[in-house]
Amino acid sequence: MPVSEAHQSTDDPRVTLDRALGVFEPVPPYPPRTEREAEFYTLGDGQMFINMGPQHPSTHGVLRVVLKLDGEKVVDLDPVLGYLHRGVEKLCENADYHQAICYTDPLEYVSSLFCEWPPVLAFEKLMDVQVPRRAEYIRVLSSELNRIASHALFLGWMALDLGGLTPILWSFIERDEIVEMLAALTGARMLFNYFRIGGVNGDLNHDFMSRLGDWMSKATEQIDSGNALLNENEIFVRRMRGLGTIDTATALRMVMTGPNLRATGVPFDIRRAHPYSVFPELEFDIPTRTEGDCLARYLLRMDEIRQSLRIIDQCLHNMPDGPIMAKLPRLLRPRPGRAYAAVEGPRGQNSTYAISDGTDQPFRMRIHDPSFIHLQSIGLMMPGHLIADTMAIMASLDPIMGGVDK
Amino acid sequence: MSLLPGLGIAKGMALTLRRFFEPKVTIRYPEVTPDVAPKFRGRLQLLYDEWGSLKCETCFQCAQACPVECIDMGGVDTLERFHVHWGPPETYGERREESALRRSGRPVPDAAFVPFSAVDLTPLDAILETFDHDPAQMLPMLEATQAAYGYLPVAALKHISQKTGAWYAMIYGTASFYSHLRFEPAEAVHQAAAVDAHRPSEASYLTALDAALGGGAGQPGMPARA
Amino acid sequence: MTVVGKTWNRLTLPGKIVFTAIPVVVVLTAGLIAAIAILGGPILATLAANLPIVRFVVAVTIVLLMTIPTAFLIIYMEMKIIALMNLRIGPDRVGPYGSLLSVVHGLKVLMKEDFTPTGADPTVFTWAPVVTYLASVLTLLVIPFAPGLFGQELNLGLLYFFAIGGLSVVGLLMAGWSSYNKYSLLGGLRAAAQVVSYEIPLTLSVVGLILLAGTMNLNTIVMQQAGWFTDWYVFQQPLGVLIFFIAATAEANRTPFDLTEADSEIVAGFATEYSGMRFGFFFFAEYVNVFIISALTVTLFFGGWNAPFPWPWPVALSADPGSLGIALLLLVAIVPLILTLAFAAPIWISSNRIKGWQALLAGFVLTNILIVAVIGAWAYIGLDWVAGLVWFMLKTYAFVFIFVWMRATLPRVRIDQLMDFAWKWLLPASLLNLFITAAAIVVFKTLRPS
Repeated sequence: MPVSEAHQSTDDPRVTLDRALGVFEPVPPYPPRTEREAEFYTLGDGQMFINMGPQHPSTHGVLRVVLKLDGEKVVDLDPVLGYLHRGVEKLCENADYHQAICYTDPLEYVSSLFCEWPPVLAFEKLMDVQVPRRAEYIRVLSSELNRIASHALFLGWMALDLGGLTPILWSFIERDEIVEMLAALTGARMLFNYFRIGGVNGDLNHDFMSRLGDWMSKATEQIDSGNALLNENEIFVRRMRGLGTIDTATALRMVMTGPNLRATGVPFDIRRAHPYSVFPELEFDIPTRTEGDCLARYLLRMDEIRQSLRIIDQCLHNMPDGPIMAKLPRLLRPRPGRAYAAVEGPRGQNSTYAISDGTDQPFRMRIHDPSFIHLQSIGLMMPGHLIADTMAIMASLDPIMGGVDK
Repeated sequence: MSLLPGLGIAKGMALTLRRFFEPKVTIRYPEVTPDVAPKFRGRLQLLYDEWGSLKCETCFQCAQACPVECIDMGGVDTLERFHVHWGPPETYGERREESALRRSGRPVPDAAFVPFSAVDLTPLDAILETFDHDPAQMLPMLEATQAAYGYLPVAALKHISQKTGAWYAMIYGTASFYSHLRFEPAEAVHQAAAVDAHRPSEASYLTALDAALGGGAGQPGMPARA
Repeated sequence: MTVVGKTWNRLTLPGKIVFTAIPVVVVLTAGLIAAIAILGGPILATLAANLPIVRFVVAVTIVLLMTIPTAFLIIYMEMKIIALMNLRIGPDRVGPYGSLLSVVHGLKVLMKEDFTPTGADPTVFTWAPVVTYLASVLTLLVIPFAPGLFGQELNLGLLYFFAIGGLSVVGLLMAGWSSYNKYSLLGGLRAAAQVVSYEIPLTLSVVGLILLAGTMNLNTIVMQQAGWFTDWYVFQQPLGVLIFFIAATAEANRTPFDLTEADSEIVAGFATEYSGMRFGFFFFAEYVNVFIISALTVTLFFGGWNAPFPWPWPVALSADPGSLGIALLLLVAIVPLILTLAFAAPIWISSNRIKGWQALLAGFVLTNILIVAVIGAWAYIGLDWVAGLVWFMLKTYAFVFIFVWMRATLPRVRIDQLMDFAWKWLLPASLLNLFITAAAIVVFKTLRPS
């Protein structure tokens, strides 16, 4: 068969199609494989399916949600994942220990440092490395900056999904200042690749410190004034209050962590519950709220920004002198064993479980991503709400599809 | 929410109006360059030395170390003799081009073969069949190829890479390691003369070196440069 | 191939038609003028006999043509103002301060592929933007821009306005239905629900005003508000203005009531499947609607073309320039020269670094500014429609600014909250406004029977 026939384009006028192009039905072309699928893809009276995503303007990343609607009310939904699947865990198992860290960077691409931290911690446990204190402080400092950048973006996204045009740009100003600062420290704006096994890539430099000083002097004021736009806005508060409510028991049952769990009243924070790095030496509060709705999640993240600013302040005051890297061989071959490490990311628990078989590559590397865990509770939150609220609920959980699909 | 309905909205409106008059943060990019940190990594770039030649020695160490295989080296080696390429046989860029071509309905040329003189691949296919396309038997395979063609044509190496699945750079490494394998017909011109013809600046550098060292540096076929 | 040829090839069919039609229309117009000039008498006599018809045709044409620069201006305002409020610069590349960007947008829309999705109903799909656009344009007919400057004087102007304005929802519904897309359908149905619901408080909120004014003729309503700004109806109907403004925002589908094209929920609502000039018509209609509701708010409650205060020094300009004879010619020739020199001299003297030609140039520019200012002032004082138009446009664009400002600030309401607000708050409030107004009128009439 000639090539030209085998790969005939659908744009070719000679090609006749047996079905209309451009009409994409959400119902899968195969017979239902499970009872749940059979139940979901059977329409009741007056119901219809609608495809939200993967190219919808406000699904975060490439998530596709098939919504079963009754009018505008969501009856049921079926999230379809995997549009961004890269097989990160497998890639990591085929790279050596230094290279594996780089693969974990784009998982949560708005807060990369929290994705490289757990593998680094786990490998350090495997190798029994003592990280210098200065490196630990730098890690805490840079990661808290990254947490603020991530939360700032969340606040903007939240408003954008409710139709506000301005907050996203104001919060991008905040984020951009932090990201430029981190670029001065790490060399990249988004995928930092900064943490190394046994330390960090580079020491604090003058460029970073001057940018940080400039920003810290005005940060609180700037964030507060920006947030005044929406915090008291009646339209915003009315839409957010009581939306996507989840109670403590359900949240715990759905293994929620991070701000989404703390918004239901559980003061669980890995930085305090299972301290790592130098967090035992730092003073900060764990803000909680009891409502468990979108507004609580929104306001809680704003409180967390303030706590992060406190931590940054303490880091700057307590920053010790010393080396930033532990002495390590170039080729790492840890003894056979297994290690687990978790950090408190801006979305919840980022953790890594690594098994070493004595070679220079991890035998198994399991990545736990909070976005994926949180996304599964949209099935509990969305039904009964309107189509306009689906995106608000999803935005309030703050999932990053890079981490969901891995 | 405040007691008076609409107060929050009014506050927000006042805030946006205030920001309306505040200085703007946009950087007018082509006229004003942004303040990029000195440590910013940015784009990969190959550097040139003061003699105008590439500093890159095509040692592939960067491409080999790159964890995400984003460094994909291709081109001509420093002596401008051989096509070298590091990366999977089909890189993303080639694959993208090819799939675009396929969708256009036209026959697809293999972009990797284009810059080189084609050779008749029938004997090579027979050789590959003999060795069962086994990349582990690379050396005997290459020796048989050289016996068939008289030298190792680049197109033949490409073909071996495609058929056996071995990376081209590894075949290149194998072939260049053994002195009895050669990449050009035996009657080919001396390399150093070709270099002189191609790179006058390097030639003048060699002449200067020659003068400084008292002769011998710029001679054709000097072993240090072969 | 030349640039012209390339550009021509990139145009879509409607674009080609438009670009062919423009010279044809120009030539026809020139021919018409020539025919009138040559044939003269009989044509003019016929036209004069049917003056109302001629006036109507001219008015419709002008109104139709007026929508395009208006839409361009408002689109530019929206881009620029929202950008400034976002701490961005906004458009700044095409034209001075980027002001031609919206024109470029218009041309871009003409050049885009005009796409009809598979499964759509092509007839309805094509006519939907036309209906929407025409509904917007037709409402402009009754708006009094200035004394004597209006499309058509209607006794039932206000009623006509609401009737035709409500038609635009038909277009949106047609677009939503014919696109063969569920997002479009949701958008169209949302539009229908929203516009129908808000029509009621919108209409009821002006009933109080109609009771006060005693007429639905917009011209009369404006004339009743002449005098000081305290005579404007806004001070007699504060609640009515508020309800009217909110309901009008919803009618025009503007933030925070832009549910019909809520991009974060239903992609682009009814316009999801539209591209090219058909989308352009929706886009234009939206911005013309902004202008129209601003204009109507100004007309009804903010004095229309009346200045906020009566001109304290009434000037009667009786000077007829023609009576000056040859002196007028001298005036026109000599005065600019003298003024230029007069302006240039002090500039030149003041600093050594300023060269002679620079001083002359500055003087020339200043002279022009002065002359334009003088002529403008003369027109403002002498021609009351110029004054009226200036005040009307100032007020209207102030309201356009408020709409854009709201868009930059507010998030979107939800559909059930939108309906709740219309039926549970706005409707009772507008009824309350109506009853209070009626009671006040009765009380005043009994107290002071005139």
